[in-house]
Amino acid sequence: MMNFKKLGIIIEREYLNKVKKKSFLLITFLAPILFAAICILPTVIMMGTKEEAKKVGVIDRSGIVLPYLEDNDVTDYIDLGPDAIADSLKSNLKATGIDVLLSISELDAESRSVKADCYSEKPLGMDTGSMIEDRINDAVEAYRIEQSGVENLEEIMAGVKSNVKLRSYTIDESGKETISESGIYMALSMILGMAIYMFIALFSGMVMSSVIEEKSSRVVEVLVSSVKASELLFGKIIGVALVAITQFLLWILLTGMLLGVAMGIIGKDKIMGLMSDDPTTEMVQQMSPDVNLPGQITLEDSLKAVTDTTSVSAGEPSGMEVIMSTIGNINLAEIGIAFLFFFIFGYLLYASLFAAIGSAVENEGDSSQLQLPITIPLMLGFFVALYAFKAPDSQLVFWFSMIPFTSPIVMLARIPFSVPMWQLVLSIVLLIGTFVACAWASAKIYKVGILMYGKKSTFKDLWKWLKMK
Amino acid sequence: MAIIEVKNVTKTFGEKVALDNVSLEIPEGKIFGLLGPNGAGKSTLIRIINRITIASEGQILFQGHPISEQDVARIGYLPEERGLYRKMKVGDQAMYLAQLKGMSARDAAVELKKWFVRFDIADWWNKKVEELSKGMAQKVQFITTVVHRPSLMILDEPFSGFDPVNVDLIRKEILRLKDEGATVILSTHNMESVEELCENIALINHGKLVVTGGTDEIRRMHGEDNVEIEYTDNTLARRAIVVARPDVNAKLTELIGQGVTINSFKEVIPRMNDIFIKLVKGEEE
Repeated sequence: MMNFKKLGIIIEREYLNKVKKKSFLLITFLAPILFAAICILPTVIMMGTKEEAKKVGVIDRSGIVLPYLEDNDVTDYIDLGPDAIADSLKSNLKATGIDVLLSISELDAESRSVKADCYSEKPLGMDTGSMIEDRINDAVEAYRIEQSGVENLEEIMAGVKSNVKLRSYTIDESGKETISESGIYMALSMILGMAIYMFIALFSGMVMSSVIEEKSSRVVEVLVSSVKASELLFGKIIGVALVAITQFLLWILLTGMLLGVAMGIIGKDKIMGLMSDDPTTEMVQQMSPDVNLPGQITLEDSLKAVTDTTSVSAGEPSGMEVIMSTIGNINLAEIGIAFLFFFIFGYLLYASLFAAIGSAVENEGDSSQLQLPITIPLMLGFFVALYAFKAPDSQLVFWFSMIPFTSPIVMLARIPFSVPMWQLVLSIVLLIGTFVACAWASAKIYKVGILMYGKKSTFKDLWKWLKMK
Repeated sequence: MAIIEVKNVTKTFGEKVALDNVSLEIPEGKIFGLLGPNGAGKSTLIRIINRITIASEGQILFQGHPISEQDVARIGYLPEERGLYRKMKVGDQAMYLAQLKGMSARDAAVELKKWFVRFDIADWWNKKVEELSKGMAQKVQFITTVVHRPSLMILDEPFSGFDPVNVDLIRKEILRLKDEGATVILSTHNMESVEELCENIALINHGKLVVTGGTDEIRRMHGEDNVEIEYTDNTLARRAIVVARPDVNAKLTELIGQGVTINSFKEVIPRMNDIFIKLVKGEEE
């Protein structure tokens, strides 16, 4: 039986030793700044760096485009006349006081189109470029409509144009409909898969380093004369697990605090508004101008949208409402619990395997070859998880979310798309069973390995140690 | 009474036999020398006594009963290949090791401070191990081996890495602990310290017990049974002759008849070193 008092002492040392390290403090406090920055930076950039309108000099030899080029926030158009010579101007942009030179060819009678070239010293922003392009296309379309000679074609065309947007709802057992945005599920799936992969790799690696440190410093022989090797091993694994949980909680807490402070300074509405800055929002705005602009939506409104299902049917929901509704529709408690379970058992499984590898080597450099068979399933799980959103219920993804070595990562990536309870339970049971078997085997290898010095160990040696009495 | 009885212990690693049916007794309250060339199986035997590894066959008795986990807490072990956590503070580390031996944090702190003062290293408490020299670290390791007042100490090459001053310090501490009632198993290649400290020894070679018993008996047993007579002759020169025991009386009578002064008369006991070499080589022939 384990001596729990000694186990406690081992866990305590392992924990304090890691938590007091400079690198731990650095990562713990820097990462939330990074997380918060990712959330806030777009707002700050948008707020602080409104670009001055670019002066676009236009040489319009076609005679049809110029009327469509209207000045706006980003561009001021200056007519240089159809006879201006592009070659001489473009070599001397600065002196002429324009930022961009737009040269439009004469109308090509056959294709009924124009060629457009753009010259500037700095590359055009994507938005500016596509806006100019849109205007030119508008001009050409209008010209063609006029040329067709069909009466009222413009109105007909406008009537024909369609802009259907697929809006998806998820229906729960009680038949309650909630609007959902598949992009959110996709992002969540990838984030969860990546996060759990990172956590497992990071903290199992930490266990391995700790095993190697004790072996190479030769402190281990004194330790195992006081405690059982298995106590030492599991004390270490549990100690590092507590480090992981501490770090995780601190990240959540600190990120929350930083965001809170930032919202206080910049204003939460602006941040909330910009978070929803995606194409959906723009489209919704264009289609239904009477709907609240995201920037004006308060947090309370958005939350109401989540809880109040009637708001779904009431008119066009804004992008922000869709996102908030989607997030509200996701069972955060289920994800949280699943994350905890799969992280803990995935970590335990990999940590015990990495510990066995660590016990067989005397320095980290020697471990890479022995690590390979463990790293491969871990990486495989990671890659499958990254693409799981494409077909969360496919055969491949299903099996990878059942096989214990990849299941913690792949299952987490599947969870946002909701997984039947029996699958979750089966996956966890398989994972726990595998962990128990691997922990038993690892403890045996570890017990022998930590006292083996001299020659480089191979898998054959590990197998031999496993079979030893 | 024996504190440790090794009974028919055999240990195999796969094909390799590290210990082959070894039996010996380690008397309580004495210093026991465990001798043998490198790779003879000493470390394996020590690890089995410590319950770090389990014997393939045979058993270890501690004060008459099969050794258990509680007994191991009463052992202090200084391995030959020893080390400390390099990045950890000396004091924290000593506390950790003492607590793993079952001491309470309070007892450990009190006892450790005493030892640190005795070894004149009190101001190292908050230093990191990597800042210490090898000799300094060895002192800390010795302290962590004995701080929980073990009734049995297993010291594997305890003097290696120390300068003569500190060798003397450690030697005196070992003797002091023995006087307080502790048993010491001393594994060493330093035969002088065996002669000086150990009342009993065991010699192991190729996993087999070659000889065990009282140090003096073994030395006598392997002597040529000669006597050394030292005398001052008529020219006042000091001389010494070695005489086989059966001829001693005749030789003495002869010398006294010559009118020489006998200064000393003593049994020739071979050096432990010579016995070690003789036995180990004899094994190989």
